[in-house]
Amino acid sequence: MKLLETQKVSKYFGGLCALKDVDLSLNQGEVMGLIGPNGAGKTTLINIISGAYHPSEGKVIYDGRNISRLKAHQINVLGVARTFQVVRIFKRLTVLENVLTAMVDRGREGPWKLVWGSFFRRACAFNQDAAACATAEGLLASVGLLRYRDEQAENLPYAMTKRLEIARALATRPKLLLLDEPSSGLNPAEQNEQIKIIRQINQQGVTILIIEHVMKVIMDISHRLIVLHYGEKIAEGAPQEVYRDPLVVEAYLGGEAHA
Amino acid sequence: MESLFLQQVVNGLIVGSVYSLIAVGLTMIFGVMRISNFAHGDFSMLGAYVAVFILAWLPGWLGWVGSLLAAAAGVGLLGILIERGLFRPLLTRWTDLDQIMVSIGLFILLENLAQLFFGATPRMLPDPFGEATLNLGLFSTSVMRLLCFILALVIIILLQIYLNRARMGVAIQATAQNRKAAQLMGININRVYSLTFALGSALAGLGGVLYGTLFAIYPTMGAMPTLKAFVVTILGGMGNIRGAIFSGFILGVAETLGGSYISMEYKHAIGFIIIILVLLIIPHGLFGRSEE
Amino acid sequence: MTGPRQKLLWALAAALTLALPWLISDRYIQHLLVMSLIFVIFASSWNLLTGYAGQLNLGHAAFFGIGAYTSALLALKLGVPPWIGLFLGGFLAAGSGFVLGIPSLRLSGPYLAITTIGFAEILRLVAMNWVSLTRGSLGLYGVPPLPGFFGIQFTTELTFYYVALAGAALALFCFRRLTRSEFGLSLQAMREDEQGAESIGVSTNRFKLTVFTVSAFFGGFSGALLAHYQRLISPDLLSLHETFQALTMTIIGGLGTLTGPVIGAVLLTFLSEGLRFVEDVVKIDVRLIIYGALLVVTILFMRGGIVGLWERLRAGRGQDTEER
Repeated sequence: MKLLETQKVSKYFGGLCALKDVDLSLNQGEVMGLIGPNGAGKTTLINIISGAYHPSEGKVIYDGRNISRLKAHQINVLGVARTFQVVRIFKRLTVLENVLTAMVDRGREGPWKLVWGSFFRRACAFNQDAAACATAEGLLASVGLLRYRDEQAENLPYAMTKRLEIARALATRPKLLLLDEPSSGLNPAEQNEQIKIIRQINQQGVTILIIEHVMKVIMDISHRLIVLHYGEKIAEGAPQEVYRDPLVVEAYLGGEAHA
Repeated sequence: MESLFLQQVVNGLIVGSVYSLIAVGLTMIFGVMRISNFAHGDFSMLGAYVAVFILAWLPGWLGWVGSLLAAAAGVGLLGILIERGLFRPLLTRWTDLDQIMVSIGLFILLENLAQLFFGATPRMLPDPFGEATLNLGLFSTSVMRLLCFILALVIIILLQIYLNRARMGVAIQATAQNRKAAQLMGININRVYSLTFALGSALAGLGGVLYGTLFAIYPTMGAMPTLKAFVVTILGGMGNIRGAIFSGFILGVAETLGGSYISMEYKHAIGFIIIILVLLIIPHGLFGRSEE
Repeated sequence: MTGPRQKLLWALAAALTLALPWLISDRYIQHLLVMSLIFVIFASSWNLLTGYAGQLNLGHAAFFGIGAYTSALLALKLGVPPWIGLFLGGFLAAGSGFVLGIPSLRLSGPYLAITTIGFAEILRLVAMNWVSLTRGSLGLYGVPPLPGFFGIQFTTELTFYYVALAGAALALFCFRRLTRSEFGLSLQAMREDEQGAESIGVSTNRFKLTVFTVSAFFGGFSGALLAHYQRLISPDLLSLHETFQALTMTIIGGLGTLTGPVIGAVLLTFLSEGLRFVEDVVKIDVRLIIYGALLVVTILFMRGGIVGLWERLRAGRGQDTEER
């Protein structure tokens, strides 16, 4: 069953074409890898799916619904969560609070309901709510961050900030998770750890779209790969097939030579 | 009626030239260092007081030349000290908020130190032409104001030449356009920062002397040039030097015209009304801004 | 919060706060206590907006002034009871807070700072020039006091102290609830990273409008309190200076903490008056110089203000029982 589909998605910045007619389709439960040389438009695609940008042309269909015009927070509420290439954790909140914040049910009523709730719904502070904390701790444990529970997020080692962002994304209970280079800047041991975590998430039924430069990671965990080059899709298929595709080899080597 | 209009436009251009001069300093500092200095107008206040004291001690032409030079040098030097002492230490760790707060602290500090040392009595700069006016038929202006206008223009033009021709001038522009690329090209960023801040402050100081030829000088006057310079800077696009120059004149003319045709009482609100409208419609100002 | 020793300390502090004006019979000191409490509310409301939600509002004095003028004018011109006026002042400020929130949807940093200053300055000019309504720069005098009940008149420093105390307690209770709830966490997430907050479902636009409205309500409420206490208000209430006052108090106390603005407001109100005695001796106006210097020093060397310093000291002694 299709969970996500982009239909001829294009994005222009001024006169510059960042994406051109990209078709992509993700089945429920799948891990799809998104690769391509620098500047190929990978992050732009994730930004469009998650609602940070709107496509200039084309449509994004999620769960049978056109989400091309929705805003990032609305798309998240529908069940799409993401991480960022450069981490965007909440630095001056504790690790636990980072996750708790993502668990808030913001539904449709918005902030006024929460203002009201401040006085009438919860007896004490949200970060002392036992049930919520238990859930958040469970999430932290699953990415191996529990021992940092009360640490300020800005004091975390780099690798841990990457994991915190994944835990935070999971706390919104997504059906689709978009990962933008989850293992960039990590050492090999940390990369292996990251692979394990991502696999685990997938085994719990979360569909994943992942951008990654580290080949080992991407070949290990994706069921299928899509290759972007100068904003266009040049290949798609099983990892081993795509890896041998002459067009892809050309794009990577050519891209390297030009860079 | 027609001549009143022309007269107001001329008055506006004269005031505008001073706004431009002060705002160019502010926008340069923002463009290069991303610092929004709320104490910028206090640098103008200090510049004006330099002129007050030098002219009291040495009247006449020599005094004026000395005032301009001393205001530029003195305030520029102060700028270097403040940049080193206050802004540089925060450069790596601050947020927008911290930086703006520091400059607000500096604003409060300078304003009140000035009150302490200079006293609260307003002062005027003496008119070297004995209040002579120049009547050009359609409009008239005092010779002093005309000279103020010409001086402001000359300084702005000299600055443009410096920024486009001199090695360090080009380095400043390059850094404003792209900090990382400039660094890769071997530009010494710290030197550029110091120079930019010194130059920007010196412009505020010079602007202050000229401001003092038009308006009264008192210790808390700095808020006015600060706010005007910010309005001009935002209108022109923060970091955009040409934008600031044009916007300064636009604000000057808009204020005098608004003051005479709409309402004198709300003259100082005009700039704010313009930028609120502009920001809501074109968030990056009339002339765009330099991008990081 | 939990241990019996802490409960005792809280009880003692509360008792002391209640007894304070009886312990100090000097009317001038009582006056300072009242002013501190009013500024506790005002600075805390600014702190909610800037310290917690990260929206740099330099036009907060607008809310102070709107609250004061609304309540005073309603009482003077229409005979509205001041007790109701306090809240009406708050509500009108809240409405204008919503309006001022609109630019924050697209602007941040220096852009937002100047727009908000502009908003307050325009209102100040209106208060200066709409002479038939506001008496311009002369200000409104003879603002009626809060009506008394049970034979208690709220016209002395001593009795007004309890009104201000109740107001401050109410406001702080609200801020405590608001900042520690899901609402407060969402605000802080937005302050730390807007895109990150959007990605977990925070509708930053709606949160900004909401927090501007809530913060403005309390800003207006504190202004209205001041109007019925001083019974003389002038356009100066809307000036940049009042905003800077709230800003300095909050930052020196501790931006983005609940106790910060409380400590800052009390400390600076008394410090500036204490220095007034020094001034009588040395004949120099040093108060605002110290304000400015403290502000700069706090940001440069004492991140997190007094509360931050206190927490570091406590952590340094190895008692890391985190409580926020």
